[in-house]
Amino acid sequence: MQKDNLQFFIKFAYFLESSLKYRAVKNFFYNILENDDYKYKKYFDFFMIFVVLSSVTILVVDVKEHIPQWLDDFDLYFVTSVFILEYLLRFWLYSDIHKMIIDTYEESLYFDRPISKINLIKEIVTSKLDYMVSLPAIIDIIAILPSYRGIRVFRVLVLFRAFKLLRYTRSLNGFLSVLKNKKYELITLFTLFAFFIFISGTMLYVFEGANNNPNIHNLFDAFYWALVTISTVGYGDITPVTSEGKAVSIFIIMTGIGLISLVTSVIVSSFSERLEVLREDRVINELGKRKSITVICGYGLLGKLVAHDLEKEGVDFVVLDSDKNAAYEADKSGYRAICADATKGEVFESLNIKSHISHVLCLTSDDVQNSFIAINVKSLNEDVELTVRCSDKEIANKLKSINIDNIVVPEDIAGMMGAVYAGEPAAFEVLLSMIEDKDRTQIDEVRVEKESFMDEAFFGDIDFESLRLIVLGIFRRGKSNNEAGNFIFNPRVDFKIKAGDDLICIGYTAAIANLKSMGQSDG
Amino acid sequence: MDDKKNIILFGYGSFGQQLYKNLVEAGHSVRVVSEIDENIEFALKSKTEITKINIKRDDDIKSLEIDQDKHIIYCAMTKTANNVFLVLSLRTMFPRAKIISISNSFENTRKLKYVGVNNVIDLYETTARRIANTRTKPAVTRALDEIIYHQNDLKMAEIKLSEVSFVNGKKISAVPFGKYGIILVAIIDQELGNELIFTDNRIDHKLDAGDILVIVGKTKDIENFQEILQADDLLI
Repeated sequence: MQKDNLQFFIKFAYFLESSLKYRAVKNFFYNILENDDYKYKKYFDFFMIFVVLSSVTILVVDVKEHIPQWLDDFDLYFVTSVFILEYLLRFWLYSDIHKMIIDTYEESLYFDRPISKINLIKEIVTSKLDYMVSLPAIIDIIAILPSYRGIRVFRVLVLFRAFKLLRYTRSLNGFLSVLKNKKYELITLFTLFAFFIFISGTMLYVFEGANNNPNIHNLFDAFYWALVTISTVGYGDITPVTSEGKAVSIFIIMTGIGLISLVTSVIVSSFSERLEVLREDRVINELGKRKSITVICGYGLLGKLVAHDLEKEGVDFVVLDSDKNAAYEADKSGYRAICADATKGEVFESLNIKSHISHVLCLTSDDVQNSFIAINVKSLNEDVELTVRCSDKEIANKLKSINIDNIVVPEDIAGMMGAVYAGEPAAFEVLLSMIEDKDRTQIDEVRVEKESFMDEAFFGDIDFESLRLIVLGIFRRGKSNNEAGNFIFNPRVDFKIKAGDDLICIGYTAAIANLKSMGQSDG
Repeated sequence: MDDKKNIILFGYGSFGQQLYKNLVEAGHSVRVVSEIDENIEFALKSKTEITKINIKRDDDIKSLEIDQDKHIIYCAMTKTANNVFLVLSLRTMFPRAKIISISNSFENTRKLKYVGVNNVIDLYETTARRIANTRTKPAVTRALDEIIYHQNDLKMAEIKLSEVSFVNGKKISAVPFGKYGIILVAIIDQELGNELIFTDNRIDHKLDAGDILVIVGKTKDIENFQEILQADDLLI
């Protein structure tokens, strides 16, 4: 009989494992409760914040005013059921029982020995217990308690519902993590506080506890006085009356001022340290909503110029530099910047390299560093288009062998230009103005859209002259993404233009913009 | 266009070496000058003729026997400060010389222009623009690459119209460049001064002897076209 029971559970576990519906449901709840990247999570967060705030408001109003029955019912039934439901969902999501059963079962099959039921139950219970004793879970359960109307004191626990807000507001979490960072310093300081309060409180009690001071009835009063004094609050409801007591006061006030400023400075410095991290978190969050981000690695001379150009073209990009000052400088220029080591996978993963990054530009001044970053990126996602700056020919050859899309050798371009200058200064000037894009006359590409007037037209039939453009040629894409495509220079008049082709045009900015807008409609 | 130039190249660092290679490939005669022992050693190893000088001493520069009407001077030292200083000394000695220098930033370009350089190649500006273009204008990058690196025989060239040419006196629109596999990109119209004008059909210039045409085409077509230009009359 018992064996049948177990068989049933195993069967059921396999059923859950294979059920797409079950997985979809679980995944949905996971997204809405835990996944910050999920689109609709924020609506759920707003809803929970509303529920928490309404329940706290009801408690506060209830102190002096009489609240209508329906509000009380709302608090008792609706809020409580939402909280209980949430707790149970999180409990369910925390670990997969059916997976544990399957694992144990398969392990037992493998070793050919009976399933140890006790171990299995132990494993399940510990995993769920892990959740129950975690701080957020404890807060959740305490937040449910005030719904029990039997004990009045429980009502105060409604405030624990406010703690639940932490879960739904990311910025608050950030601040808490700041304090957590300085845990050691803060604990030391508070121990010191406690020590001084204990010493001076006890001293005052010894000097004035025995009827000298009518305000000090017991040791608690003395400690209370010590805390009020050392914190520089100084209510003045209890004041020392003997000169010994006043001497204790002098001592405790002096140490108090010192300690308070120490605590303040620790917290402030911790904030300023963490501010950078918080800012970077914000950058990552902002970028999380965009697709096809370009990453610039290295903010040196070249990085700066490229960032400037990309900004002008309206490309979404983020600057990475392992040097703090460089990252700070990029931030000051108004770019999104993160101080991180681009040779590590971590930062690219936090930027969602699998789905969000389209281009990575390795522009540090060190060839080896650039190759290292390039390899790092390619190993994380092969589809990212890489541009690597590299001055060393041997390293450039190695990079070519691992399919780096663009290798840019600064000396190469400039050297070629220099050679052109010697023989043909006018051609040099044309090339320079095309590359540097400084003139009003530009070189640009115009995509032929489907069903525009250029789609399926013969090259000779389009009057580029009256459009005030020189068309150097047509760039035709390869059939697949891997195929590089062809540049067809000076096409014949009977060349048939197709959708997806890029026309390489030289002309005034306005003329190019004109052709672009014409290409979109079918006019 | 095929009159080969005499070039003096200052600096033999990574850029200098590349420039040397490109210049020699283009058929110019190049004399390399450097002041860094390491580079000189490297040059000797690769059998490049090189002269060692101290650029801070005018006597050293004079000993190079530069003819300012004949030589083109390239300043391609690794340190931009050296280039600025070198341009300054060269300019005082040779007021008419053609001097071109590399630069590494907009800042330094300004300084170089101030001391009287004729032209500047900004190492980073050109590279940065190219990198940005790989992201925003990939097709343009490919096309420019073909032209700059002479891939598929494609190149940009300039032609100075001689006294005798069938195009003299004709408007641009009357010359069928396309028929010869050539695209006219820009001209320097002597009547309008030395300014380079893109021929994007805004003005139909009249061609005269002395005008310079900047064209793009296959090497063979360009050579062919030059021959045709020589003919004083042609049946089109």
